[in-house]
Parts: sequence; structure tokens; C-alpha cells
Amino acid sequence: MKLIVGIIKPFKLDDVKDALKDLGVHGITVSDVQGFGRQRGHTEVYRGAEYTIDFVPKVRIEILVDDSDTERVAQTLIETARTGKIGDGKVWVVPVESVYRIRTGEAGPDAI
Amino acid sequence: MDASARLRTERERIVADPRLRGVAFGAALADACDAVIVEAAQALSLKGKWAVVAQGSYARRELCPGSDLDVVLVHSGGARGAAGDVAARTLWYPFWDAGFTLGHATRTPKETLALADEDLDAMTAVLELRVLAGDADFALDLRDRGRALAAKRRSRVIDALASAANARYDRPGPVAEVVEPNVKDGAGGLRDLHALTWAGWAVSPLGGLAGLIAVGVVAPHDVADLEAANTRLLDVRVALHRVTGGRSDQLTLQEQDAVARLLDIPDADTLLRELADASRQVGWISREVWSRLESGKKGPSGRVAHRDRPLDQGVVLREGRVTLLTDEPVTVTSTLRVAAAAAEQHAAIDRVTLARLGDVDGAVPWAPEDRTAFFRLLRAGRPLVAVFEALDHVGALVRLLPEWAHVRARPQRNAYHRFTVDRHLLEAVVECDVLLAEEGVAGDVARRARTELLLFGVLTHDIAKGAPGDHSEVGAVRAAAFATRIGLEEHAAVVISWLVRDHLLMADTATRRDLADAETILRFGRAVHDTERLDLLYALTVADSRATGPVAWSSGKAALCRQLFVETDALLEDGVVDPRLAKEREAVLKRHRALLESGELAVEWTERDDGLRECTVVARDRRGLLASVAGVLTLVGFDIQGASAYGDPDTGMALEVYRGIDRFGRLDEAGRRDFVTMLRSALDGALPLRTRLSERIARYRGATPPADRSVDVRVDVDASASATVIEVHAPDDVGLLASVAAVFADLGIDVSVALVSTTGTRAVDVFYIRDAQGAKPTDPLLLQRIRATLITRLITEYVLPAPR
Repeated sequence: MKLIVGIIKPFKLDDVKDALKDLGVHGITVSDVQGFGRQRGHTEVYRGAEYTIDFVPKVRIEILVDDSDTERVAQTLIETARTGKIGDGKVWVVPVESVYRIRTGEAGPDAI
Repeated sequence: MDASARLRTERERIVADPRLRGVAFGAALADACDAVIVEAAQALSLKGKWAVVAQGSYARRELCPGSDLDVVLVHSGGARGAAGDVAARTLWYPFWDAGFTLGHATRTPKETLALADEDLDAMTAVLELRVLAGDADFALDLRDRGRALAAKRRSRVIDALASAANARYDRPGPVAEVVEPNVKDGAGGLRDLHALTWAGWAVSPLGGLAGLIAVGVVAPHDVADLEAANTRLLDVRVALHRVTGGRSDQLTLQEQDAVARLLDIPDADTLLRELADASRQVGWISREVWSRLESGKKGPSGRVAHRDRPLDQGVVLREGRVTLLTDEPVTVTSTLRVAAAAAEQHAAIDRVTLARLGDVDGAVPWAPEDRTAFFRLLRAGRPLVAVFEALDHVGALVRLLPEWAHVRARPQRNAYHRFTVDRHLLEAVVECDVLLAEEGVAGDVARRARTELLLFGVLTHDIAKGAPGDHSEVGAVRAAAFATRIGLEEHAAVVISWLVRDHLLMADTATRRDLADAETILRFGRAVHDTERLDLLYALTVADSRATGPVAWSSGKAALCRQLFVETDALLEDGVVDPRLAKEREAVLKRHRALLESGELAVEWTERDDGLRECTVVARDRRGLLASVAGVLTLVGFDIQGASAYGDPDTGMALEVYRGIDRFGRLDEAGRRDFVTMLRSALDGALPLRTRLSERIARYRGATPPADRSVDVRVDVDASASATVIEVHAPDDVGLLASVAAVFADLGIDVSVALVSTTGTRAVDVFYIRDAQGAKPTDPLLLQRIRATLITRLITEYVLPAPR
């Protein structure tokens, strides 16, 4: 089993959610995060005053998948979240030792 | 069958019997438990006096399926040591074996009272203990000594009870106003009712509610309301425990339907409204009681003023309460004056005054001073919530504001929200007050907006929530009618109507659209129309989101909304899309002054912070310059993302700035030299630009052409004061900008700004155009010609290039 983690542009969330649903992904976890990569922060100028934005708002998305689905889900996530511009984000995949469903106690791929 | 098996069977039977609700359930379960204790107590043999007593909900016979059972063996010393262990085994084991959560203790009266003197829970437990077995007089004597102790410690007990009641307003929040209420520990819940009873013992030997009536802090007619509320709350708590099979007292969204079914209530919304009605009574009466007991506690010397302090015409502050003088009639005007004064003074409304306000006739036109008082109330911040509650309690609120009836205690079945609709609206108004005093962009904007419109818009933004149809659309109509009814002028009603209809537009756009795409800003700017509305919408979005809860206002969403606001503000202020453009305009011309004055063709390349490359071209101003430069840039593989054109009247030169991506990495030094050579020959007419461009377009038609190959052209004469805006929607391929620019050149149209954006396989290019005289083209015939020519030429030359 794998945990796919993506940091994406917030406005892409709905598209990504729909694409993953079409793929048969049953659940995702989403959180608002901030950070910077190569995009860095930027300075906003509003009526003469400068406001420095150090971190850029992003959405972090986490998906637990069976090994065989990893590539398909990750690729869909990447393709859907891409705009081709700077700040599109990143996707990484980490191995998962075990997964349990709290309500039923099911374990392993059954719990995904 | 032994005692524990019998107890288990009885409990299962009682829990399974749907006819046993609330009060009846509690009594039935208490009876079953009593029987077991009575039987077990017969086997006890202890020296001295002893009794077995029930405490808490067991004493009140208000047990719920998941309630703890609190039982104490009180003794005069005979149950110490081994005798106590034997007694405990006899009494407690049946309950443990039957699976009850048992709170048990073995104490002497002296120990009990010492504990009660230290700990409020222990004190309140003694006040209402119930004798189950043993020496009744012995137990009742303990109870009376406990009650005497409460009276002796009156001030401490009242303080502790009042501050606990206050804390329940914050956490878990008012039963009537949160989406997932806690029926026991929420403000206006069962614990508030218990606390009133306990307070009665501290203030009068009559004890309970009778005690509170005796000292004049509860009216006799309140008792029936409180009893009815107790019944309702217990019904819900028992049903909730049945549904969850557990001990949670929070009526979560997922359980609400099942609880409603058990109580034969049609749906969850009705359940919550009924619960809210009951609980509002409890909450309001209990607030009154604590405030009166606390001010009374100080005694005559503690009072601040004996004389009336005038607050407004006919309105005075008397003994800390806002009072309407008896010779002053109850009208919309006087009601609003009392309300505003109470909110501003952070004081309660006198009870006689409040009862009078219940008869206010709201069906009269508002005078200007009524609006002033109304907006003073809305501007008062947090205290306005208590004033609304008080007016609601006597029915004055919906008489004054019939529009409020729809949202009153209306639940929101949405985990995003914490409060009912009416409380959410008030919370949002309170957030406005916070915002108006805040530093930073949002505060500046809120202060710049017209306060009345902001407060009224925020108060009414969800006024039709839960009505059939789109709540924003229906709400817009109702809010505008409301504004007109209270006498706001037509402009205000129009703005309010727009604000309510589009109150989600900013939050939705900021979180769901690409803010780096100029088209997003442009569309949003067009929908908003002007800075008055933009300011109002931004301040409303901040107040609404903050009032909804932390999930609705993350720092990420705040940053996105602010970015959208700042960029749109610049768009509306300057009449151009890119906020930096107007300021940059002068700077760019100044920076390139030397180039411009040389009168020669010049090209400069720079790397930008955002990963794009910028190409600046200075050339003698002529029609079609944009088409030529864009065409040559396309030929050398530069993927144009945006372009701005500046004319310099001083030198007769033009300066064009292109932003884009070096698609094939060919624009090294040699590539740039080639570009200049090609550009020179294109401008001289030596390079057959059109032909080369269509060859290239044909060559780069993707192997898999996008499904949507249609072309659409939209014309907008309202988006900018100085130019007409043309949007070209077309498949995203090589050469779009150059193709469009060529059409404009042929039609004698100047392009001042060009913006390119792509959404997947489609592109939307936006052009700010002027005619040859530099004026904004508005003639419908000319605009139709531009549109028709663009579509025809793009389809024949760009979308369907001749095969080669």
C-alpha cells in the first residue's frame, strides 16, 4: 500500500476530486496548507502600501491506495493539477506499513 | 434470577420500550434500580446509623440510557473497614455486573459536608439527595445540613454556578444556536435547569425554583416554561442515548434524523427548532437569574447609582438596567432606542420594559431616527447578541423585523457551520464590528465602505437560507424589500440586493479559479462592477467566513481573497486588467527613455521572477506593429503569455512588452540576433510574414487536435473606461495572438493591452482595443464587423489552415 501526497493549487481541487472519483478512488483527505517552492512568496501592492506574502496558499491532498493503483492515481493527480505555470505543486508517494478502518477493524487493502 | 441479571433484563426492556420517553423513561429506570438497592440493603448489617442515597440524575429520577448512577452509603462510622467492604459488595456488585457506570462512595455526614464545602459538585449532589434505603431521618438530616451550608456560602455558590453557566455559552455553546447542540451541557440545556434549582437553595429555605420565585428573580409564570423545556430536553436526551447506544450528549448531524424518528417528529429541522424553542426559554431565564443574583449580591451599598441616568429620549439606566419610562409609549422608535442603548451600555433590559416591548406594533414606516438607532444597535458588537435574544424572548424581534422570522432558530445541516442561521447572521455582524477596528487591508476596506450598507448586507446575507430555490437569489429580493421597508434609499436597496445575491462570489472565485489568470480577475471585476461593491463584498466575505468558523476562514483562503480583492481593486480603479500596468506604464517608458529617444529598432530580453521571459521591443509607431512582432516571435518559438503596448507621444516611438516562454530553448544569443534580423525584414516587408506564419500554424497543428475547435468572440464595452474589450475564445495552438493581431491591423484597430490565458486545450485571449484616433470604439456596426471578421479569419487561417 502507498500514501500519495500532493500539494496543488487550491482552485484545482474540484477538478482533482472529480478525476479521482472517476478513477474509483473512495476517499481523500484534504487540508489547507501554505509554503513556498521555487514560486517563492510575492509582494502585493495595494493603494501604495506593500504587503509581503511569504507563503503561498496551497491544498494538500492525501490518498491511500493499493500498490497496483499507485501509478494510475498519481498520474491522474499530476495531469489534472497541471496548469503548466510555476507553482503547480508536487506529488510524492510513500510506502505504508499498515492501514486499519477504525469502525470495523478491517486491516490492509480491505481498509482502503 | 439474581439481582444483576434482573437489573440487566429490566434495563433492556425499558430501553426497548419506545413509549417510555424522557421523564417516563427516567422514572422507570430509577424504579428498577431502586428495587435492587432496597432488596440488597435488607441484607446489610451495619453498626450505628446508615442510609443508602441516590444523587444527581438518579436522585431526580431523570436517568437516561447512558447516565451514570450515583449512589452513596452514608453511615455514622459503622461501615468502616471490613464491614464497609461487605456492604459495598452487596450494594454495588449487581450494578457493576449489569454493566452500569456506577459513581459510588461510602461516607459519614461529616466527610460529606467537608467535601461539599470544598467542591461545588459535591455540594449540589447533597442538596437534592434521595433516600433509597436505611434510616431516612439520618439521610434527610444530612440533606438539610447541606442546604444550610449552601445558604451560608451563598455568594460563593452563586458565583461558581453563574460562571459555569457563562462558560457553557462559549463551550459547548447555546443549544438553540449551534448546529450540533449538546442537550446536557450546552447553554439553555439540562445543566442550566439543574443550576437554577441549586441556586434556589442558596438564596432561600424554600429551595429550588420556589426559592428563586421567593427572592423575585424568577416569575411564577416562568415555571411552566422551564418544566416544559425540561421535558423536551429529556425526551431528546433519552432518544439520543437510545440511538447512539452510548453516552454522548451532543446531537450530531448524523444522529438528528434517527432521533427525530424516535420522537415522531417529521424531520431533523423540526426537531432542532422545537429543541431551540424550549432551550431559548431556559437560556434566557437563566441569564436573567444570574445577572439579577449577581447584582443583588452586592447589596444596597454595592449599587453604583440610585438615580436614573438618561440614555435617550424616554430611556434611562436604572439600577444597571435599561428602562423605558412608564409614560413613554411602546413604538418602533422607543423599542429601537431601548435596544440600541442596551447594546451600547452592555446592560440588560429591565424586565417590565421588556414585557412591554413584546406588544410593539412593527407595521409602521421607519423614521430616520429609527434607522439611526437600528444601526447603533448593529454597530454595538458582541452585546447586540444578548439584546436580540431578549427581544426574541418576548416576541418583539419578529414584530419589529418580520423578515427575521424565516431564519429564527433555523438549523443548518452543514458541518461547515457551527451556528443556526439567525445566530450566524448576528455573529457575522459582530465580526464586522471587529473588522471595523482592525488594522490591515480588510480593516481599511471595511472602514471605507458605507457602514450602514455593510452592516445591513451582513445582517441579511443569509436571510432566505432554507427557503425553496437558491437562497442567494431569493434572499436578494427579500433583503432589498427589507431595506426599502426601513426606508433606505433606492441606491442602497439595489446594492444590498446585489450584495446578498452575490455574497458567495468572492469566496468561490478566490478558491476555485486561477487567480494568476488575468481572465479570472477581469470576469470577477465585471461581475462586481465598481469599487463600492467590491469593498462591501470583501468586508462581507471576511465577516461571514470568520463568523462561520475556523474551517471556513483558513489563512490560505484569507490570502486568496485578499489577492483577488487587491487585483480587482486595481482593475476597477485604473481601468486596466493588470494592476501593475498603470504604475508600470510610466516606469517602463522612463526606463526605456534612452532606447525610445534613439529612434531605432531595439530589442531587450529579461528573465522575470515568475519564470517567464520578457521581450521588450522599441520601434517606430505604426499600424500593425503588434501583428508583426507577435508574428516573428511565434516564428522563433516564443510562446506568448501576455503583451502590453505603449505609445510614446514624445518621440513617436512605440514600446511593446511581451511575456512568454522560450518553448524550444532557441533564444540564446544567436537566436536573439536572428530574431532582430527577422523582425527588421518583417517590418520592411521583405519577410513574407503571413505565409511563414500560416505554414508554421499548419505544421504545429497537434497530432491529436483538441475536441473543441470552435471560435467565439465576445465584445465588452463596459469593462474599461478607455478601451473596448474583445475576448477571443479559440483552441490553444501556435500563433493565435499573431493571427488576431493581424486581423486588428487590417481593420485599423490599435491594441493597447493583450492578455493570453489557457484553460487546458482552450485559450482565451483578451484585447483592449482603440480606434485609429485613440478613442474607445463603441459603434455597434463597427463592433459587429470586428467580431465577424475575427471569427471568419480565425476559422479559415488559424483553425483550418490550408493543407500544405
